[in-house]
Amino acid sequence: MVVGLRVGVCLLAALSVTAFAQTDGAAGLAIPATTLAINSATPLSQRVVAYDMDAKYNAKTHSLDATETLTYHNLTGQALDTFPFHLYLNGFQPTSTWIREGKRWNSYGPDLATWDAKSYGAQEIKSLEVVGQGDFTSQLQFINPDDENKDDRTVVQVHLSKPIPPDGYVQFKIKFHDQFPETLARTGWNRDFILGGQWFPKVGVWWHGAWNCHQFHYDTEFFADFGVYDVKLTVPQYEVVGASGIEVGSVNNADGTKTVTYHGDDIHDFAWTASPHYLIYNDTFQGSMGPVKLRILMQPAHWGQAERHARIAKETMEHFDRWYGPYPYKTLTIVDPEPGSEAGGMEYPTFITGDTTWYMPKGVLLVEDVVEHEFGHQYWYGMVATNEFEDAWMDEGINQYTQIKIMNSIFGASTSIINMWGVTAGQVDEARPGLEAVADLDPIAKNGWEYADPNSYGGITYFKTALSLLTLEGVIGEDTMRRAMHTYLMRYRFTHPTKEDFLKTIEEVSGQDLRWYFNQAIYGTQVLDYEAMKITSVPVDWYKENLKEKKGETEYVSNVWVHRKGEFVIPIDVEVKFDNGDRVREHWDGKDRWVRYAYQKKAKVESVEVDPDHKIYLDRNNFNNSRTAEANGDPARKLANYWTCISQFFAQFLAWWLV
Amino acid sequence: MNGKTSLVSAGAAIVQRNKRYIVWFYLLNLAFAHFGATAFSDAAHGILDHSLYADKLLHGFSLGVFTEMLARPEFGTLPGATHPAMMFSVVFFLASLLFMPGVLLGYASDHPLPRDEFYRACGRNVWRFVRLFLFFSVIAGIVAGILFGGLNALVSAADKTSNERLPFFTQLIGDVIVLVVLTVIRMWFDVAQTDAVLRDQPAVRKSIVAGLRKTRRNFGRLLGSYLVIAIVAAAVLMAGILLWYAIVPPSSILGAFIIGQATLLLLLATRFWQRATAVAFYVREMTEPVAEEKRAIPGFAAPLVS
Repeated sequence: MVVGLRVGVCLLAALSVTAFAQTDGAAGLAIPATTLAINSATPLSQRVVAYDMDAKYNAKTHSLDATETLTYHNLTGQALDTFPFHLYLNGFQPTSTWIREGKRWNSYGPDLATWDAKSYGAQEIKSLEVVGQGDFTSQLQFINPDDENKDDRTVVQVHLSKPIPPDGYVQFKIKFHDQFPETLARTGWNRDFILGGQWFPKVGVWWHGAWNCHQFHYDTEFFADFGVYDVKLTVPQYEVVGASGIEVGSVNNADGTKTVTYHGDDIHDFAWTASPHYLIYNDTFQGSMGPVKLRILMQPAHWGQAERHARIAKETMEHFDRWYGPYPYKTLTIVDPEPGSEAGGMEYPTFITGDTTWYMPKGVLLVEDVVEHEFGHQYWYGMVATNEFEDAWMDEGINQYTQIKIMNSIFGASTSIINMWGVTAGQVDEARPGLEAVADLDPIAKNGWEYADPNSYGGITYFKTALSLLTLEGVIGEDTMRRAMHTYLMRYRFTHPTKEDFLKTIEEVSGQDLRWYFNQAIYGTQVLDYEAMKITSVPVDWYKENLKEKKGETEYVSNVWVHRKGEFVIPIDVEVKFDNGDRVREHWDGKDRWVRYAYQKKAKVESVEVDPDHKIYLDRNNFNNSRTAEANGDPARKLANYWTCISQFFAQFLAWWLV
Repeated sequence: MNGKTSLVSAGAAIVQRNKRYIVWFYLLNLAFAHFGATAFSDAAHGILDHSLYADKLLHGFSLGVFTEMLARPEFGTLPGATHPAMMFSVVFFLASLLFMPGVLLGYASDHPLPRDEFYRACGRNVWRFVRLFLFFSVIAGIVAGILFGGLNALVSAADKTSNERLPFFTQLIGDVIVLVVLTVIRMWFDVAQTDAVLRDQPAVRKSIVAGLRKTRRNFGRLLGSYLVIAIVAAAVLMAGILLWYAIVPPSSILGAFIIGQATLLLLLATRFWQRATAVAFYVREMTEPVAEEKRAIPGFAAPLVS
């Protein structure tokens, strides 16, 4: 601990050297230009906020009391006199919009039917002072910009007496109290574990000429400005703590607590965790911007999987670094949360949670799937900080796309989720059924809380987006798509790009007008389904009596029909295979509802296949993409045999016990 | 039957002598399962037969492709495809209930049981077996309900600890204990069924009492025999699965069929082995003097033991 304190003092001294780079001359306020937590000599983002927080966590009551000093730099270009704040933990109240939406889908997600008061969460601002303007606590006003729910208390607003001029600074001094819920939405406590996510009053984002500060919705996530975080966490000494950013100090206090200090640069949120049970696994990834320290907090029962977590994290980071761009932060904390805590699979800046169980066969790649996905969010959310309320697909969907690419690259396309006992499943196999049931319900481009239901939200934002981008890759080429993703990252990292920023980047890099595709895939609900409809092969001399067909000698007139069953129009390749081994490729623009190809050869058509290179991942039904002239009953017989065995076993089991 | 041989060996000898019963029951189950799988099979053929995509199910087993097949509207609803198999499982259970008296009588006989005697035993005991099944269901249901209720409470308590393995192993050990208890009840009713058939006992409650008394008196010996055979059954199942995985190529329908059916046949045999053990036990018991008046057992001209 003494060593930690010395390091902390040195680092804080370093902080003070670089501070006050962006100062407001009049008030002496500034956003620190520190670079302690990044592998860069200069700040990477246009920093809007600086949060300085001192929080004391009560492990017995799962509550927290804290002070928050928020310095806000008005870069909006206009005077601001109103500031909205998120109070996300109030979403875990019975009358909140979050719960009401959750109840609407009562068969989905956490068991809200048995949800009781001890599991509620709450966030209360005890006082709010605007430096130089006085106390505004009594003037705080809850607002509900997204719905009619007056009882929702997840957004609070304050009107200042004096507007903050363009390029001016304002400082808020807030005292608040948190009551963490029993883990919901990957936040809260479970037994003696805590995951502190969305735990502090967070100012909204001025975006496109207005405040963007949505209520907490059941399906959607978050949106915030980049800045600097300095956070002191006081917890019992027995706790092992992990958090966003880098640890710059740790001091043991006389009352049996300890205060751990963290610093984060160019991040837009701060999360932390504590548990007495964590075992720490350290590793390092050598990225192109410098070394990244991996700190993996494992449950003791999962210790044997620590290396598995580290390996996939490093492989993922290597792929991202090589394909899309560098990871600039000095740390990545991976948390293996308390079993059964519903805290697995979540992303915060430089801080992610995995998900595993004590028994996880190597052939089931759940650990890898989750770690890859959540690390991907360090790019598509962490750095490219899109609006997760309004454009959920831009973090979840784009991330799902890169997940498929990277997992397939590491583990193989058909075995990148399951490869055990002869049973296989790839990433695309997960995505396709997820989309199937909801394919025409909602467009991708839609506010996250306005989807038909959570299945549609998941199926469209994650899977349709990923499959759309994979299909687009088939249109513009894999290399071009990768260059477009790289350009998008490097151009828009540390900003809040819109959907059009992303789409126009792809058009620009590919040099193609892709509106015809985006209008259907991103903005539309058209379903893509092509069908190899029919095959006929008739002997040219069919009219001759006693005609004996002979392979290789008899001449046939063959026809194949291809049908566009869905409304989604995309040019396709069609491959026709003849029984003498010949193959013919056709290209169809798909604009008509069907097309027929005719051939006269000394061979019959054996099969016809739409999209023979398997590039159109959005096609709803892959079974009808091909048609063989002759039936092959073996696949169905194999399944029927399995089913027969299972039925027999069940019958014998029944008779075993009952007779 | 030699009174000095173990019950397990005596049961094995009976099964060995009467293999035909197992074969017939096996064929019956196979036929029912085949009929039950028709809806599933038809739906699968409709989607897969002309599609090249189906190759991923033949040369391997792509879970994604399989899931896609189930999700296709033309596959119909999953219950529509699977319920017939469940119904035929129930039919097999009813057939077992109907024919088991003949099997028990055959097991007790030292010569191949003539067909008419077999069916006569089946017919005479059908209602008794239905009543025994109902008694068994009530007793086993109550006991299982209590035990599983307790087990669930234990698992819930274990779930509240931070030891992640505790709930799993609590559940596992609890399940084994419940299965052993249910095996005891099954054993008791196996003896009661044997009593009903061999003594031609119309009052099944007397058979239940007799079964309970005999089981209690020879509890360790009987339970040990049943558990040994159950362990053999588990080993057969494991071996079958391992063999299937190790030696059957993914595209070999015949190989999978042979291994699968051999495993199921052997599994069925282990249950018949348990029944034969109960018969051997009962017959040995009958050779010893008991206070009850013995009734003539129809169809037995020769001594009951060999």
